[in-house]
Amino acid sequence: MNSHIFQNNHAMWAILFVFSIFPIFSSILDLPFWNDVLMRIMLLGIAAMGLNLILGFGGMVSFGHAAFLGIGAYCAGISQFFGLDNGWLQLAITIFICGSLGLIIGFLALRTTGIYFIMITLAFAQMIYFFFVSLEKFGGDDGLIIDRSDFIIIDLYEPLRLYYLILATLIFTSILLTMIVHSRFGVILRAIKSNESRVEAMGITTLRFKIIAYVISAIVCGIAGCLFASWQEFVSPDIMHWTRSGELMIIIILGGLTYIAGPLVGAVVFLLLEEILPELLHFFAPSIAENWMVIFGPMLVAVVIFGKGGIMGLLSNYFDRGRNV
Amino acid sequence: MTFTLLLEQLFNGLQAGVTLFLIAAGLTLILGIMDFVFLAHGSQVMIGAYAASALTLATNNFYLGILLAIPVTFVSGYILELLIIRHLYRRDHMDQVLATFGLILFFNEAIRIGFGPAALFSDFPPSLTGFVFILPEAPYPVYRLLVIAIGILCAIAIHLFVSRTKVGAMVRAGASNPKMAASLGINIQLLFRFIFAAGATFAGLAGMMIGPLTSVEPGMGEPLLILSLVVIIIGGIGSVRGAFIAAILIGLVDTMGRVTLPIILRAFFDGSTADTAGPALASMSVYILMALVLVFRPTGLFPQKGN
Repeated sequence: MNSHIFQNNHAMWAILFVFSIFPIFSSILDLPFWNDVLMRIMLLGIAAMGLNLILGFGGMVSFGHAAFLGIGAYCAGISQFFGLDNGWLQLAITIFICGSLGLIIGFLALRTTGIYFIMITLAFAQMIYFFFVSLEKFGGDDGLIIDRSDFIIIDLYEPLRLYYLILATLIFTSILLTMIVHSRFGVILRAIKSNESRVEAMGITTLRFKIIAYVISAIVCGIAGCLFASWQEFVSPDIMHWTRSGELMIIIILGGLTYIAGPLVGAVVFLLLEEILPELLHFFAPSIAENWMVIFGPMLVAVVIFGKGGIMGLLSNYFDRGRNV
Repeated sequence: MTFTLLLEQLFNGLQAGVTLFLIAAGLTLILGIMDFVFLAHGSQVMIGAYAASALTLATNNFYLGILLAIPVTFVSGYILELLIIRHLYRRDHMDQVLATFGLILFFNEAIRIGFGPAALFSDFPPSLTGFVFILPEAPYPVYRLLVIAIGILCAIAIHLFVSRTKVGAMVRAGASNPKMAASLGINIQLLFRFIFAAGATFAGLAGMMIGPLTSVEPGMGEPLLILSLVVIIIGGIGSVRGAFIAAILIGLVDTMGRVTLPIILRAFFDGSTADTAGPALASMSVYILMALVLVFRPTGLFPQKGN
């Protein structure tokens, strides 16, 4: 494993650096609310990075990954419901359950391709969604109110402990995914995306690689969900509504799906806009401040029509042009 | 569980099915012919429902409202294609998902700004409030029966159009192999725009008809969009016939499941558990059906594309 694979990743390191020193500013400026926003960005960023392993690098467009986010959250919630509040154990349960479910769903769904794959992953996600809606014991539609998990040496009720736990997970995920994408496995995965039959002609069983990638991305999403439960102190089927799967895809495409840092950049931009646009509109057009999405929607359309490769694509175009001159 | 209740639900299922077909018919062609993932098709349903409600209020006449709303939906589809969609045909599916998701956000918020966030008042005229006895002891609302009739008439019209007319032949050629169709001299651009506007009109018509039955509110189209995507996938992308069969199937499974599952579950669990689990399991059944179809027939029941 060469170290250069980490060097060509300025955007990722810059964002991680800002995240790690941000609490200093927020405490000086007395803006504890923004810590919360950043935790949300990091959590959805982790999930989006996990999804991007199959979406951006494997070419498998899963429209149902919020289900794994939800299952991770429910692993924490239901464990706690039965009195098991050890966070490390909850994470282990999450990894086991998301891994096995990812294996089963991946095995069935990867029989299809293209639009059919998009739809079958949506179908499984909807099944899981309605399954949790039907569980009256765990709150059904209304969900479960829970405490933050007990990570033994880390007391999540102390200030900033949860923030840095999430940040550590994000850094771990970023490094892990960078290594996976640049490993032999990742090269084959990317080759499958560009031409699956050629890879098969080389004597490689592509299905196995696709399933493994699917399982890894399911587990990463599950871990994000498990921490999401502690952050929200609440679990409900809402976390895996199909619009959330859409949101994860939007985050990835917005950031740029062929870049490791793409989903992270997308999460920062998407969720910051969600906070900032209403505030901006309060100044310029107070009557529609509540309806900030009327501006946000066309912005997404414009990103697609005028830019290719999302924000990372625009950025690298800009820098490459500078280099050529 | 009496026979009349079952019959009534059968008709409700049929009504849901034809409504879904009206939405899915255009979408299956958009997906099949243009290979375009159009998520904002649900917004067309919403636009139709709002246009009909607003025009009914303005003209004080339900029929006139609907009659005027139909061209509105056609024009909205036409303009949308002209301004935005045609720039996106050659992009990959992910770009299309992002752009049309943006359109959903825009339409929902624009409606919210224009009409307020609350559900709009929408009702059918007194002349349609009566009941028809489909069996001596089974009264059924006239309005729902009318919806079924219009839906089936539209289905027949679409079928005849696609299978008997020259433009229909072009549509079929486009669905089977768009590049070949284009190289045979068919004006694909115009065909696309026409299909898009027609699809928007039928989706809008579905919205107009279910408006008085459900609630006319921002975001009303999205659950219907997801269900009609299920219909399209089960039927096979690009197949109008497949869409019709799948739509009726989904309508029946969803409606019957909603009624029968809580009753069946009540035999095994206590009342409140059954009442929570029943509707959720019924919603699940639609997706289980779709997953089963895809596992055994990965390109749907009536695959259209020739390889």
